[in-house]
Amino acid sequence: MAGTLALALDALNYTSVLLLVSIGLVIVFGMMQVINLAHGEFFLIGAYTVLVLQGLGVPFWATLPLAFAVGALFGLICDGVILRFIYDRPTDTILATWGLSLAIRQAIVILFGPGSQQVSAPLTAPVAFLGITYSSYRLAIMAIAIMVAVAVFVLLYRTGFGLAARAAMVNRPMAQSLGINTRRLDRITFGFGTGLAGFAGAVMAPLMSVDPQMGMGFVLPAFLSILVGGVGSPVGAIWGSVVIGGSTTVAASWWTPVIAQIIVFSLAVAVIRFLPTGLSGLRRR
Amino acid sequence: MLEVRGLVSGYGKGAPVLRGVDLTAARGDRIAIMGRNGMGKTLFAKTLIGLIRPMEGTVRFDGTPTGGLPAHRVSNLGLAYVPQGREIFGDFTVLENLRMGVIGKPGLGMERLEQILGWFPILRERATQRAGTMSGGQMQQLAIARALISGPKLLLLDEPSEGIQPNIVHEIAEKLRNISQQEGLTVLVIEQNFDMVEILADRVAFIENGRITGEQPVARLSADPDLITQHMGL
Repeated sequence: MAGTLALALDALNYTSVLLLVSIGLVIVFGMMQVINLAHGEFFLIGAYTVLVLQGLGVPFWATLPLAFAVGALFGLICDGVILRFIYDRPTDTILATWGLSLAIRQAIVILFGPGSQQVSAPLTAPVAFLGITYSSYRLAIMAIAIMVAVAVFVLLYRTGFGLAARAAMVNRPMAQSLGINTRRLDRITFGFGTGLAGFAGAVMAPLMSVDPQMGMGFVLPAFLSILVGGVGSPVGAIWGSVVIGGSTTVAASWWTPVIAQIIVFSLAVAVIRFLPTGLSGLRRR
Repeated sequence: MLEVRGLVSGYGKGAPVLRGVDLTAARGDRIAIMGRNGMGKTLFAKTLIGLIRPMEGTVRFDGTPTGGLPAHRVSNLGLAYVPQGREIFGDFTVLENLRMGVIGKPGLGMERLEQILGWFPILRERATQRAGTMSGGQMQQLAIARALISGPKLLLLDEPSEGIQPNIVHEIAEKLRNISQQEGLTVLVIEQNFDMVEILADRVAFIENGRITGEQPVARLSADPDLITQHMGL
């Protein structure tokens, strides 16, 4: 029982952070039809922001909003310098964002070296409840990630901005014809998505070794999540993250992380085979 | 109010389909554009609203040159567009669709909602229903209401009668005529269905091979339907 609860918490922890990364990917794809292969590097930028700021003596909790801001700022720069010119050529954006991901990773290697570094967690004492002891930091990031995800969904589904953004996702020419500046929405969405990735990287930094490859470990499951959940559906990102995050954690704890990867990939292939529009396609059946 | 001179436009990098369109509309005019399929009527609408950049020629809307402006800027100048196939947001509620009509307009809210629901009472009944579940005629009324809620100066409709039963076509045409008369709204309607044109418009411009080949008062066409077949080259 205690083991199951701890496992469930681990799964929820991973899922909630994965969701933050996936939402960024899904809104950027939905809005701009850009498959952002550099999304993992914004996760990386968030983690290194914490590393640098902690080195300067900034308290950990204050680094989180700054990691969001740095991720968003880099996103806006990339949009203005690269994507702006090619956003109507989806295939080219794949190449461009892949190139961008290589460039960011190598820049990090040049600036910080290829080795892994540690970020210290602000909370270290475990808490005991319901018969288990569990990392208080993990509980805290779960709460934060869930709150941020809820805020994102409130923004998307309960505000005028969200209505305009969702309209532009489903019918861009019509949204434009109704007076919506979709290029402005693109910029905001891209900056917001990369900011979320930076934020996710920041909260995960104390739990992982901070190295130039760490983005990959999150961006691949995030891509799987949005495929499983339904490409272009923010709500689908929730279902996708639950399936991918949950099954990865459970399978890795029962067997090994390698077997978990095999299982998760097979599961994703099966879902996409039978539900080509992902789990959010179920609702429309 | 609207002045189109020598407008040349086409899809992508292909050959132009519109090859020098001239059209003038004054405030409160109700003009129908008729022509066979493939003559570039929808392209004309998309070029006017700014979804397609004209290759040559000038468009002036209320004195402002709009040729080459992006659609959202043209829309914000007061040109409202009801596209072919209605293009309402099926997953949004009726009210959310109406909100879409003003959301991109700086300083505009839902002030006209009551007036709009008065014109289209069915939308009041269906306010919280998902728009995609309504009938074709109801969706068309929603698309028109969404265009009118921002209080535009010119309403551009592309085949509004398509896929709608005749009695509803009549009702919509009469309603639009009344609204245009009340509000001094200029209406430009692309339409194949003469029943609608006869009620709604005052004059018809015929388009053939990418040019306006002639204009006729609707009354004259009603009196002599042969003129329509002549102009449309049927």
